[in-house]
Amino acid sequence: MKEWSIRAILVAALIALGIWSWGIFFPSPEKVIRKRLGELAKVASFSSKEGLVAKAWNANMLADYFTEDVEVTVEIPGSQHTLSGRAELMQAAAGARSAVSSLSIEFPDIKVTLAPDRTSAVVNLTARGKIPDDKDYYLQELRMRMVKVKRDWLINQVETVKTLSLNSYRRGLPWGRPAPL
Amino acid sequence: MQSPGWVQRVLIGRNPKRTLVRSAVLVVVSLVVFRFVLQPIRVEGGSMLPTYKDRGIHFVYRLAYLFHGPRRGDVVAIRLLAGGHVMFMKRVIGLPGETVAFHRGHLYINGKPMDEPYVKLRGDWEHEPQPVGADQYYVVGDNRDMPWAYHEKGRPTRDLIVGKVIL
Repeated sequence: MKEWSIRAILVAALIALGIWSWGIFFPSPEKVIRKRLGELAKVASFSSKEGLVAKAWNANMLADYFTEDVEVTVEIPGSQHTLSGRAELMQAAAGARSAVSSLSIEFPDIKVTLAPDRTSAVVNLTARGKIPDDKDYYLQELRMRMVKVKRDWLINQVETVKTLSLNSYRRGLPWGRPAPL
Repeated sequence: MQSPGWVQRVLIGRNPKRTLVRSAVLVVVSLVVFRFVLQPIRVEGGSMLPTYKDRGIHFVYRLAYLFHGPRRGDVVAIRLLAGGHVMFMKRVIGLPGETVAFHRGHLYINGKPMDEPYVKLRGDWEHEPQPVGADQYYVVGDNRDMPWAYHEKGRPTRDLIVGKVIL
């Protein structure tokens, strides 16, 4: 009985180890996207202690997360701005970096919905930004469309969303408007 | 057998095995209660002023709407589309099927003025009647002194309402 129990425990441990190893070596697209967005939050954050070279390096790194034809639609009360293309987005990011001395960004919630062909995904996320001098956090809900390009997941579309303003019809759509791809 | 010293008695009790079991039960019960029944939240921002102050700690009773829907006047927690780590804390003012309007800062439901004793900071909001859908609730903060455009409000569906703020 005792020998049987030990064998059962060993088999269960081996199965658990196998499942864990499989997840490490062959992560699911959801896991890859979450990891990538976690990296994006780190790259988009910066501190006043960063040197000019580090700032420029991180700004360049940011470009690696977006497709060449990325489109970002930002809606703020009373107006809507659209950034088209990676160059324009990087220019806006550089402007934001010069406007504040430091910024800490995190994504406390990420919800990934994969397309049936598993080469694109819609990601709803909550972004929280903190500027050290301000006592409040800045909160923004975003909806992104990510596409798989070779082995990387890149952001192709971004739009700001508001849970309280969306109607149930629009919430159910995979994307707010026809995707250009 | 030598009796345990007072330090040991205070830290792990007279019977360490029993203390271990009690601690495990306490941890499990706390996890279940604070995750699924009474979820602690911290307020960020002033949209619920003066009822709920910035940085205050409160609890959301997640089982409040098991047998009935939210009622007018309830303060509820609403999760965002991406998940529940960040939530809105708002007051339900409009129920499914009603119309909600504001005139000179006063709330009108189906065209009738409503008494809102919890609103101490009243602005001059003007907004035409908005219908509330069959599965929606109109929610807004108590601080009506904020500009309309910067105050988060709207009509979340029932599934986004996590529970009732009770403490």
